[in-house]
Amino acid sequence: MDQQTLADLGRAIKEYDGDAAAALAAQALSEDIEPVRVLAALTDAIREVGDGFGAGELFLPELVSAADAMEQAMPIVDAAFTEHGGERASQGKIVAGTVAGDIHNIGKTILCTLLTADGFQVVDLGIDVPVDGFVKAVEEEKPDLVAMSALLTITAQEQKKVIAALEEAGLRSGVKVIVGGGAISQAFADSIGADGYSPTAPGGVSLARELLSID
Amino acid sequence: MLNGFTRTFPPLRYLTAEQEESIHRGALFTMETTGMQIEHDGARRLLADAGCAVDDDANRVRMPAWLVEECLRKVPTHFRLRARDSANDLMVGGDTVYFMQGMGMRYVDLETWETRPATAAEHREAMIVADALPHTHLAEGWEIYTDRRNIPPVMGMLENLASAIRYSSKTQVAGNIQDTEIFAIMMAQAVGTDLFPEIEHACPLTIQHGGAQAAFRYAEAGIPFVPALSVNQGATGPATLAGAVVLKVAETMGWVVMSQVHTPGAPMAIHHGISAIDMRTGDKLLGTPARGVGTGMMNQMLRRYGIPIWSNTGFASNSKKIDFQAGYEKSLGTLLSALAGGQVQMFQGGSSTELLYSNELAVMEDDVAGWIGGVLEGFIFDDETLAIDLINEVGPIPGHYMAQAHTRKWWNKEDYFPQVADTESYASWVTTGKRDMLDRARDKVAEILSTHTPSPLTDSQEDALEDVLKQARDFYRKRGVISDAEWETYLQELSLGDGR
Repeated sequence: MDQQTLADLGRAIKEYDGDAAAALAAQALSEDIEPVRVLAALTDAIREVGDGFGAGELFLPELVSAADAMEQAMPIVDAAFTEHGGERASQGKIVAGTVAGDIHNIGKTILCTLLTADGFQVVDLGIDVPVDGFVKAVEEEKPDLVAMSALLTITAQEQKKVIAALEEAGLRSGVKVIVGGGAISQAFADSIGADGYSPTAPGGVSLARELLSID
Repeated sequence: MLNGFTRTFPPLRYLTAEQEESIHRGALFTMETTGMQIEHDGARRLLADAGCAVDDDANRVRMPAWLVEECLRKVPTHFRLRARDSANDLMVGGDTVYFMQGMGMRYVDLETWETRPATAAEHREAMIVADALPHTHLAEGWEIYTDRRNIPPVMGMLENLASAIRYSSKTQVAGNIQDTEIFAIMMAQAVGTDLFPEIEHACPLTIQHGGAQAAFRYAEAGIPFVPALSVNQGATGPATLAGAVVLKVAETMGWVVMSQVHTPGAPMAIHHGISAIDMRTGDKLLGTPARGVGTGMMNQMLRRYGIPIWSNTGFASNSKKIDFQAGYEKSLGTLLSALAGGQVQMFQGGSSTELLYSNELAVMEDDVAGWIGGVLEGFIFDDETLAIDLINEVGPIPGHYMAQAHTRKWWNKEDYFPQVADTESYASWVTTGKRDMLDRARDKVAEILSTHTPSPLTDSQEDALEDVLKQARDFYRKRGVISDAEWETYLQELSLGDGR
């Protein structure tokens, strides 16, 4: 019984069916399956999709659709963790966003999806995120890593401001900061005191794993 | 006035009349049902007064079809773009095709193909070369080398615009990020030129505060402006060409209604480009055939409304070098758009997915622009060019045409003869060092830089330009956009001058 519901849940993710995933997550929990096992079914499925992407068998539309389906089920699982007096475990928590003045969404969304598929817990702050937005998110979410995107030369400087504001708020030493986007280079990342830079989204995942010492 | 090229035959039509109507109806439906997210309070108030259904909590504006149709009719089909030298004025619209300098963030070293931030002298040289090129009708100094050495980014484009106005008397592109349009307008007014500014648009279906504000500011200054409605298929728009065009037409309607309600009759164009993305990486694909087809479809819709078109089909290639790929992706895309009725083609000099700009590429592509112009202008057809009497007069061999007055008069009237393409005989090519088009382009750049002098600004115009820059620097310093450390480096860089 347990196995069937969890298998259906995994299949819902792999079929990009968020409604079914949410319903099956709720069903699994109502069958008294432990939240940790429900979460594992979800992450196993998304990882499988991520592996397919890595192997060149699946593409971004499949990957992002699977992540969206997972996102629909996650609030139900998170609520169950809270109810059981705990928080879900992940290999790391990441806050990500595109900086103020910049409305370029896609690169950041792809990175968030790949990070989720890799097993990270990701808080996507969206686009045009002001400096304060990043600082507040670091205070509230207590992430292990902050990822910032900027496509335009003119907005790249916002990344520097976020790093400075994190320092000012005494939060910088507690998080790793990575940057990316069309206007960013390794030299720029070094010059603003970021911990890392990657020109691609898959590279961003490897970078996050490296910085957080995940094998 | 610069005449550009005149397309002498009907534009290529991808869509049947029924398909065109379906796209139009689909876009009207979208504007009425879903509408645009417009993040500008004043704009929403204007639109509510004009008859739109406005939801302020969601920043949503739904536009009735009658208002959309009415506003589409208000957009001028043609407008004059004044340059600071009236010989370079343009009349945008109709069957005239102009070519615009392309864009690229950084300077490229042609030996290593590495890119780096550009210096003031390099920007100056890029503008002088563009000023000299005969088929570069509009200059893009704003976005050439947006990555300027030691210049705070917010000032980079304004320093670029000042340099562009100094070293080119052609009309200039401008833009709008972080209120830079305030100073761009002041510079234009200081030297008596129009601009051709593109306004940032957020796809899908969103107009940000800064974009709306900039459109209003340019309209109030009487400067034509150009919402930039690019789309990445499958990411920021439908994966299908027809769907992407419906979305772009709907967004065109949104911008037109907002702008024409604010300033009825405000001259504007639409900048568009439809691109696929690589679904393995998310990278934009700039050289696919579908990009050319989508551009043609969109051109056809904009011509239906009589809205002038800025097409970016050939503004960059995915190639990192100046090579065959860059050549075919950029040239064929531009040719397709020009055949399909695009009026301003963003083209010469930019490549590597917007990363690089090269004078040598600009020179070579100016030749391509001349080539495309030759295709557009076609042939001259009258009794004299039909040459029936001549053919009968010359008759069979040993008759020939080389000594005829007709030949002397006509041999160079219907064709374009390239400036830097290699047209030498093989033997001559070997003797002169086996040089290719890029080698010849390098020579041409050096020749232009040693001989061409753009028409200078008057002393009072120079002073006024410098004064606007000073005001802009103060403005962004006070706003906290330029840090103390950046300011120090900036001042040191400015003290180096631009190599004039």
